[in-house]
Amino acid sequence: MKFDTVIMGGGLSGLTCGIALAKAGQRVALVSAGQSSLHFASGSFDLMGYDAQGAPVSNPPEAIKALPEQHPYKKVGDIAALAEQAQQLLLEAGIGTTGTATANHNRLTPLGAFKPTWLTTEGYVTIDGDKLPWTKVALMNIIGYLDFPTKFIADGLRNAGADVEIKPITLPELNEARKSPTEMRATNIAKVLGNQEVVTRLAAEINAKAGDAQVVLLPAVLGIKDDKLAQLLKQQITKPLHFVATIPPSVPGTRMQALLRKRFEALGGMFLNGDKVVAGTIAGDKLHNVTTEKLEGTKLVADNFVMATGSFMSRGLVSDYKKVYEPILGVDVDYIAERPQWTQNDVFDAQPYMEFGVRTDNQLRVAKDGTTLANVYAVGQILSGNNKLKLCNGEGLDMLTALAVANTIKK
Amino acid sequence: MENEMQLLNISEYNFEQCLKCSICTVYCPVSGVNPLYPGPKQAGPDGERYRLKDPKFFNEQLKMCLNCKRCEVACPSGVNVGDIIQKARMKYASHKPKLRDQMLANTDLVGSMATIVAPVANFFTSLGVSKEILHSVMKIDKHRTFPAYASQKFETWFKRNAQSKQDKYAKHVSFFHGCYVNYNFPQLGKDLVKIMNACGYGVHLLENEKCCGTALIANGLYDQARSQGESNMSSMRSAISKGRTIVTTSSTCTFTMRDEYHHLLDVDNHDVRDHITLATRFLWQLIDEGKLKLAFRPDFKMRVAYHTACHMERMGWVVYSTQLLRMIPGLELTMLESMCCGISGTYGFKAENYETSQKIGAPLFAAIDALKPDCVSTDCETCKWQIEMSTSVKVLNPISIIADALDVEKTIELNKNH
Ligand SMILES: Cc1cc2nc3c(=O)[nH]c(=O)nc-3n(C[C@H](O)[C@H](O)[C@H](O)COP(=O)(O)OP(=O)(O)OC[C@H]3O[C@@H](n4cnc5c(N)ncnc54)[C@H](O)[C@@H]3O)c2cc1C
Ligand code: SF4
Ligand code: SF4
Repeated sequence: MKFDTVIMGGGLSGLTCGIALAKAGQRVALVSAGQSSLHFASGSFDLMGYDAQGAPVSNPPEAIKALPEQHPYKKVGDIAALAEQAQQLLLEAGIGTTGTATANHNRLTPLGAFKPTWLTTEGYVTIDGDKLPWTKVALMNIIGYLDFPTKFIADGLRNAGADVEIKPITLPELNEARKSPTEMRATNIAKVLGNQEVVTRLAAEINAKAGDAQVVLLPAVLGIKDDKLAQLLKQQITKPLHFVATIPPSVPGTRMQALLRKRFEALGGMFLNGDKVVAGTIAGDKLHNVTTEKLEGTKLVADNFVMATGSFMSRGLVSDYKKVYEPILGVDVDYIAERPQWTQNDVFDAQPYMEFGVRTDNQLRVAKDGTTLANVYAVGQILSGNNKLKLCNGEGLDMLTALAVANTIKK
Repeated sequence: MENEMQLLNISEYNFEQCLKCSICTVYCPVSGVNPLYPGPKQAGPDGERYRLKDPKFFNEQLKMCLNCKRCEVACPSGVNVGDIIQKARMKYASHKPKLRDQMLANTDLVGSMATIVAPVANFFTSLGVSKEILHSVMKIDKHRTFPAYASQKFETWFKRNAQSKQDKYAKHVSFFHGCYVNYNFPQLGKDLVKIMNACGYGVHLLENEKCCGTALIANGLYDQARSQGESNMSSMRSAISKGRTIVTTSSTCTFTMRDEYHHLLDVDNHDVRDHITLATRFLWQLIDEGKLKLAFRPDFKMRVAYHTACHMERMGWVVYSTQLLRMIPGLELTMLESMCCGISGTYGFKAENYETSQKIGAPLFAAIDALKPDCVSTDCETCKWQIEMSTSVKVLNPISIIADALDVEKTIELNKNH
């Protein structure tokens, strides 16, 4: 099967690259083994929240200048321009966001902390600076829903200057769903609340409980497909309503996954869901084709290939007792040979293994046994030289490296 | 650490690989609509830890699992969640299949009785009265329209009208038609014969085809499923020894015979598995290798929405059917978002499941009704029943669409020299 580009991995980086290439008229196939870490998404996109010393960043493109030369951000070119391209790509996929690359705002985490971020999905709690614009907040707590630590969140809001009241809410449907306590997850609640009639009753319940608060905050449990029901709820609530990110699985993340895939397919992209790239045929300095678990004999042939298979959790990288390796092609990986040095004892310290990843040249092309593969690029979390937890830059790194590679391939 | 224990610690169905991320729950069609079902993570790897300690932790609610395998497709960690659940049912369930379950499961037995009296069966199943009886006595839901039984079985048609012409072709395939083609919709089988013959392939029945057994597995009739599986494997071995690929038109039969036989029933299919393939995949691969060309009627026009059946998704073969459909010049293809239609074989026919079944399918039906395509195409026959019952749109297997669009004379001409 012949394509212009084959992308391995269907998370944020793979889909971003796929959409950009398909939009440019390329025939693109994307192979994705299992669902991606978008399902843990907060609803915000981080570009660079903290610098290498741990200080909060307000202007990411400026702060990125101070990163070491081998950092992947140093290989993508104009950060602000790519960031704008990324925001536009999200919008075209049906994901409206607020924010801009050159001025971070703060998002509210599921554990009640405020962290600097670049873009936030419309409708989610954000603040500029560290003071909330409201003094009286009603925090809605769905009875029986465990993945929403209201006390932590209320504490975080109080620290930011608000008076918070936690209001338990429920509906017959939600009570029914509690029969399966382990499945009382954000995404299942979103399915239970998934029609207009239920949302209308939810609005009545919220209006009845909101009291004299200026604003209502609700865990992000609405809109697993698109944001229509969230809009409907907003219209029916007498006070401004904002969503708060929850513990995964994440409703905005699941929605983004679905919307990005839909956009990619609408542009003519071929999404091979639940299949896994297992090997490739290299001839000279080029990859000729890859094979997958499910297509067995059918080879996917392409002019260019993009590895977007993620880090350890997604198995883009694999570790064993002796080494860290990339399992599809065995391309060159940067890691520390001595295993005891992979980790630091304190779990909250920057962990060295977080920076392990595939080695790339300045165009983000990978190498095998020291030779650059002329048509194989790497994007997203599989790249070496970045600690996304420390720098708070996961989504930005995914999208900007993906767009940079798409721009190179298009040329 | 010295003996590198962890590298050796890979259990059946990758059970120990579970990260507890709950992504499987997001994609389980049942857990979102029926809170009595514990969900894939709990019913699968989490529950298995307890069941391994003490079988008393087995929960009869596991029978609510559709065996759709969407959890497995979604799992980022390669856990065979659906297999863990089915295997637990096989190992621990105490509930014995009811008469109703046995009847629904025996699609070939019930089918062959009904074909003899098809007009009568269709008449009764369309009457409200007998549906009430089916509903109250048999617990087969009265809202269901039963798939109509054809008055002539596919096999009968084939033997009378096609069989004698097949030996004249230079190349040959065997066709596993399945119960649906045989009893309910022989036209699909005829469509396949039309395409294969135009491509220069003779089509042959297996020596002794038995129902693939998917409904038997779902209804707890494992021994019967196993023995039918063994019998099919032996018929197929004999076809393979003549150099014939076994082509099929049903994604579920294909998945069952390729994967479930081995994973769940311990039927040895290692030498047969790779020779069983969907007809769309067979055709596409030949075209890709330059060994086949198809010509289509210039006046053919159709707006088609493709629905990804659960087991088609699990097999990862959607690409073959859709790429093949895209080759038809007058065909405009839209991909429907991949989700379960809710029927899951015999599941949706049971009165206790009817509501869950329709709730699961509701978003799909709404998407189809909004799109208003000329037809929906899918590789699964039970999806066809469900979608045709629940929307106003007709459903066709990709093979039937290709047969309709095919320019037979030109295709024969193009493939003469191959
Ligand atoms: C998203 C998420 C949410 C969760 N939420 C909850 C919750 O709310 N409540 C709850 O009780 N539990 C929760 N859990 C589960 C809980 O975190 C885990 O069950 C627990 O951490 C498992 O501990 P462990 O030490 O067995 O495994 P892990 O913490 O996964 O440790 C496994 C270790 O093995 C190492 N390793 C892997 N492969 C190799 C190898 N080849 N060689 C050497 N080392 C290797 C890994 O690097 C890792 O350090 C959650 C898990 C996840 C992922
Ligand atoms: S998706 Fe896979 S890894 Fe995640 S909880 Fe389910 S079985 Fe476990
Ligand atoms: S096989 Fe289907 S119904 Fe069963 S647990 Fe998995 S996703 Fe749910």
